[in-house]
Amino acid sequence: MIQTLPPSTLLRYVYNELPADELHEVEEALLHDPDLATTCADLLLAQRTLDGLRREPRPAVSAAILRYSRTFLAG
Amino acid sequence: MDHLQPSDSALISLYLAGQESAFARLLERHRSRAFTTILLIVRDEDVAEDLLQDTFIKAIHTLKSGRYNEEGKFAPWICRIAHNLAIDSFRRGKRLPHVSLTDNDRLTNTLVLAEDGPDDVLAREETHAQLRALIQELPAPQKEVLLMRHYGDMSFQEIANATGVSINTALGRMRYALINLRKKMTANSHVYDSNLTPFDPAALCVQRVAS
Repeated sequence: MIQTLPPSTLLRYVYNELPADELHEVEEALLHDPDLATTCADLLLAQRTLDGLRREPRPAVSAAILRYSRTFLAG
Repeated sequence: MDHLQPSDSALISLYLAGQESAFARLLERHRSRAFTTILLIVRDEDVAEDLLQDTFIKAIHTLKSGRYNEEGKFAPWICRIAHNLAIDSFRRGKRLPHVSLTDNDRLTNTLVLAEDGPDDVLAREETHAQLRALIQELPAPQKEVLLMRHYGDMSFQEIANATGVSINTALGRMRYALINLRKKMTANSHVYDSNLTPFDPAALCVQRVAS
């Protein structure tokens, strides 16, 4: 009999925040529960899509910050 | 390889000892997360760049005046500053209606996949703009957790502490944020394009084993 994992446990697994001693339980459940595996895949896909949104400022912005740091004198 | 990179803590020590190059590495390491967090809140690239400067100027003041708490992690700290400044700016009503996608110079600077053709770059940027718009539609508590976790590099426990809720509440908000985004993505199926974010179970499996 497969027990349903709490959604919060699956979420912590997807985000690599589950303690090592709880990983086996999740991975075992994923092997035997196709619905859970699909949900997990959806979460991972959403996670990757969101990570793809990352943006960079223009190089001039970084240069300005570094210039400020070089000239800053702690009072 | 990550384990050969100096830690944030080591870079801070070097910076405080006078090595400006250490701060340059800290900036390079964290600017993207902080900038993305700000941009997703204020929705204007010029404002976001100003706030990114304010974020790191605040960090410079704190570090060089000896007020930085070494017990904390740098990444969540800097992104928390960025998030707070962005929220303050948003509340002051300084944002503009939307992110400009017509500035070709800026577009070139912000996209890193140089090997893609111009059409690919524009299509990807359009898709990401649509996804950013979907994130704006999330309820504020869900959006806050999503930004902190994805772009602030904060753990769910750190988010719970920062927002004054239990970890289960933070997890629940993140779960509903993802559910809501998925619904919106499905309704806008062109946004949820697996070709843009190829799903590779093998790679994820390797990551899991290594962690």
